[in-house]
Amino acid sequence: MQAVLEIDKLTTRVSGYTILDEVDLRIHANELRVLLGPNGAGKTTLIDMITGRYKPTSGKIRFRGHDITGLPPDRIFRQGISRKFQVPNLYETLSVFDNVMVSLKGERRVFSNLLRRTSPEDSDRIWQVLEWIHLVDKANEAADTLSHGERQWLEMGMLLASGPQLLLFDEPTTGMTEEGKFQTAEMIEKMAQDHAVLLVEHDMHVVRQIARTVTVMHQGQILAEGPLSEIVANETVQQVYLGKGGNGAS
Amino acid sequence: MLQPIITQFLSGISIVAILVIVAVGLAIIFGVAGVINMAHGEFIMVGAYTAAIVGQLGGNTFIAIPAAFAVVGLLGLAVERGIIRWIYDRPLETLLATWGVGISLQVIVKLIFGSELYYVGAPKMMDGGLRLIGLLPFPYYRIFLIVVAIVMMFLTFYVIFKTKFGLKVRAVRRNRSMTGCLGIDTAKVDMMIFTFGSGLAGVAGAVLAPIKSVSPPMGFPYAVDAFMVLVLGGVGNLWGVVTGGAIIGEAETILAFVTNNVIGKLLVFIFIVLAIRVFPRGIFGYYERSR
Amino acid sequence: MARVHRHTVYRQPLLPLWAVVLGVGIVIGIATYPFYGQEYVTSLLGKFLCYAIFALSIDLIWGFTGILSLGQAVYFGIGAYFVALSLKINYATLHPTRYGGTIPDFMEWNGLTELPGFMEPLLSVPFAVVCALLIPTLMAFIFGVITFKRHIYGVYCAVITLAEALILQDFIIEYQAYTGGFNGITDYSNYANVYFLWVILAVTVFFYIAGRMLTHSRVGTVLRSVRDNDVRAEFMGYNVANYRIFVFCLSAFMAAAGGALYAAWVGLVSFLDTGPVFSIEGVIWTAVGGRGTIIGPFVGTFLVKGAEFFLSGVLADFWQLIMGGLFIFVVLVMRDGIIGSIGKWIRRHRAGSIEQIIADSDAIAADRQRDFRPAGASRQSEEV
Repeated sequence: MQAVLEIDKLTTRVSGYTILDEVDLRIHANELRVLLGPNGAGKTTLIDMITGRYKPTSGKIRFRGHDITGLPPDRIFRQGISRKFQVPNLYETLSVFDNVMVSLKGERRVFSNLLRRTSPEDSDRIWQVLEWIHLVDKANEAADTLSHGERQWLEMGMLLASGPQLLLFDEPTTGMTEEGKFQTAEMIEKMAQDHAVLLVEHDMHVVRQIARTVTVMHQGQILAEGPLSEIVANETVQQVYLGKGGNGAS
Repeated sequence: MLQPIITQFLSGISIVAILVIVAVGLAIIFGVAGVINMAHGEFIMVGAYTAAIVGQLGGNTFIAIPAAFAVVGLLGLAVERGIIRWIYDRPLETLLATWGVGISLQVIVKLIFGSELYYVGAPKMMDGGLRLIGLLPFPYYRIFLIVVAIVMMFLTFYVIFKTKFGLKVRAVRRNRSMTGCLGIDTAKVDMMIFTFGSGLAGVAGAVLAPIKSVSPPMGFPYAVDAFMVLVLGGVGNLWGVVTGGAIIGEAETILAFVTNNVIGKLLVFIFIVLAIRVFPRGIFGYYERSR
Repeated sequence: MARVHRHTVYRQPLLPLWAVVLGVGIVIGIATYPFYGQEYVTSLLGKFLCYAIFALSIDLIWGFTGILSLGQAVYFGIGAYFVALSLKINYATLHPTRYGGTIPDFMEWNGLTELPGFMEPLLSVPFAVVCALLIPTLMAFIFGVITFKRHIYGVYCAVITLAEALILQDFIIEYQAYTGGFNGITDYSNYANVYFLWVILAVTVFFYIAGRMLTHSRVGTVLRSVRDNDVRAEFMGYNVANYRIFVFCLSAFMAAAGGALYAAWVGLVSFLDTGPVFSIEGVIWTAVGGRGTIIGPFVGTFLVKGAEFFLSGVLADFWQLIMGGLFIFVVLVMRDGIIGSIGKWIRRHRAGSIEQIIADSDAIAADRQRDFRPAGASRQSEEV
C-alpha cells in the first residue's frame, strides 16, 4: 500500500546537538501508528518537522507524493495534515462552536472569507463534531471556561472538523482522568478508520488499548518498529524505555 | 579628509556609550521579566533631577550617581509592586500602564520643579578635553561617559553572573516554572530585577544630566533609543546591549554627519527593521530557544 | 449558563435593533446640532468624529486582531498633511501675501520663492485626497509585509511603530519649509460648515458599519482567532501574516481618512497629530470605551475628549495626571472598557443566577456520569 507519509533520513542538528538522526518513517492511509519514546527522544521535534514548525537540517518529508520539507505550517495544513499540540491550543475567547467553525475544512484565504457564510451543511458538521466530543452543552461557552479534559477534546474536535488526511496527536491524554483517557483513546481509534493517525503517547494503558503498529524512538533515532507485542518483548526497548518492570511511564 | 571621519567616529563612541547607559537597565528587565517599561525615559529624567538637586545641595556627579540609583530604584520598586506585578502576563498592556506612569511622572515633576530647563554642571575636574594630535579636543566628560558605560556593563555582568541573586535571575530567565518549582520566589526576583534596572536608569539620568538640559520631557527620546538598542541587539545576552548600541550609535553619528540628524535616524530605523527580519529577536536573541 | 438545546448557537445580530435606534438618534442629533447649538461645540463634534474614526481603526487592529501599534497616528497624520497642504497651497494662490507671493507662508518664511516641483500636483485637491488615502495604505502594506511576514509582532511591533511615529514627527519638524514645522499648517480655507459635518458624519457611519460587518464576518472570527492563538491559527491553515497585513492596511486607510477629514474640518494640522503621543491617546480612547467592540472606540473618544475639553481648562496640568491615571486604571481595573463591561454584565444576567449556573453544571455532570466507563473495563486487549 502506498505510504501517505514518507520520511527519509530526516536529520536535525541545533547548536551542535543532533535531535533527529536519519529518521525513516512510513505511515499508510487509515493506519494508526503509535510513537513511543522517553522524554527527549525527539518525538515532538519530529512532529514539529512534519508540520513545518522548524526546518530540518537534511532529509525529506513527502506527503501523498508531494515534497513538504520545510514548507510553512499553514501550507502543510492545506496539504492535509492537522496537528494537535501537547498543551491544548485553543482560541480562548471564542465559543466552543466558533472554535470548531473556524477550523472547518474549507477556504482559508482572506478575500475568500470576506463574504463567507456558514452553510447549513457546515452547521450540521459542526454539531456533529460537537456531539462526538461531548461538548454540545457547552457550544456557546468561551473556550477558556472549559476544564482541561474538555479543552483537549475541543482541540481534537477542531482537528476532526478540519478534515485532514493525516492527524498528528502529541500526548493528547495528558492531564486527563482515567475515564477521559479511555474515551479519548476510543475517539482516536474511530478517527483512524478514516484518517492516517500518528499518535505520540506515554500512557501505556492507552497504548495497549488501541495500538497496532508501534514505533519507538530513542535519542533521535528509530529504535524499533512493529506490532505492540513485539515491541513490548524487545529487550532493548525494555531497557531504554519501559523500565525494568515493563509497565512504563504514565 | 580623514580627520572629520575620525572625529565623527570618536564622537560616535560617546554616543554608543550613552546608548549603552540608557539601555542596560531596560535590557535586564525585559530580558528577565519580559516587560518593557515605557516610563524608562521618565525614570532617567527623575535620575537627572536627582542630580540637579544634589548639585543644588553642593554635591557633584559622583554623589549624584548613587543618589539617583537609590531614588529611581525605589521609584521602580513602587511601580513594580503597585502596577507591574499584576500584569506580567500581559506585556502589551504593561506598555500602556507604564506609559501612564510616565505621563504622571512628567506632570508631577513639572508641578514640583516647573517646566523650565535646569542646568546641571559636570564636575569641575572634567572641564576641557583630551587633546589628540591634530584633532579637536575630545571632552573629558565624554570620556567619563565611556568609562561609566563600561563600568555599568561590568557591574551588571557581575551582578548577573557572579552573585547568588544573579544565579536566580538567570534560572528564572531560562525556565521560570521549573525555577519556581525548585522553591525560588520568582515574583521576588522580578521585583528585584525591576528595581535594579530602574536604579540603572536613574544612574543614566544622573550621568546624562550635564549633557542635555534637564526638563520633564527630556527622557522620552532616550527611552526610544533604548528600545531600538534592545530590538536590534536582542535581550538574550548582555552583549546585545553593547552590539545594538555600537551599531546604532556609530551608524547614526556617521549618517548624521553625511546627511542630517533626522535622515540619519530614519536610515538607521530602516536598517533595524530590515535587520530584525533576519534576527527576529535581535542579534543576540537569535540563539535563544523560544519559551 | 442556560441549557442549550441542540441547534442553538448564540449569535449577535449584525445590527441589533437597539443599536440602530440609538445610532439613528445620535446621527440625527449631531447632524442637526449646528442649527441651534453653539459654534465651538459644533467644531468639537466634527473633530471628535474624526478622532472616533481614528479610534475605530485602532480597535480593528488591536481589539480584534491583537496588534498593538503605537504609531497609527502616522497614517492619520499623513492623511491630514496631504489634505492640509493641498488646501493651503490653493489658498495661497488665491490670497497672495503682502509680498505678493502665492506660496504658503511657511514656505516663504523658510526662503522658498516658488512651489517645489514635487508639490505641484497637490494643487489638485482630489489628487491630494487620493494621495492622502492611498499613500498611508501603501506604507502600511510595506510595513506589514516587512514585519508580519517574519512574525514580528507583540512588544517588538509596538516598539517599532513607536519609533516610526517619532521619526515621522521629527521629519515634519525638521523639514519645516515643506511642512510648516513646529507651527504646522494653518490659515487655509477649511470646510467648517454644516454640509461638511454631514460628510464627516456619513463617513464615520460608513466606517462603523463596515467595521461591524467585517468583524461580524468569517474574517472577523479568523482575526479574533489570530488574536487569541496565532500559532493554532497558523497550524489550522490560516496565513496569519496575510490576515494581519489585510487588517493593518484597512486600519491605515481608515486612519488616513480620519486625518484627511480632520484637516479639512479643523483648519490646523501640526506634528502633534502624527506622533507617538497621539497614537497612544487613540489606544486609550479605545481601551476606555471597550476594545474589541465596535461602538467602544466611539464612546471612549467622545467621553475622554469631551472630558478633556471641559476639564482641562479648569485642571490644567492635573488633567494630564488624570490621563496618566486613566491609562493605569484601564489596564489594571477596567480591562473591558465601558462597553465591554456592560456587555459582560448583560451576558452574566442572561446566564441566570449563580444557583441556576450551578444547577445546570450539576445536570450536565450527571448526564456524563451516566456514560462513565473506566479505563480498561469491558475491553479485552486483543493480541497483546
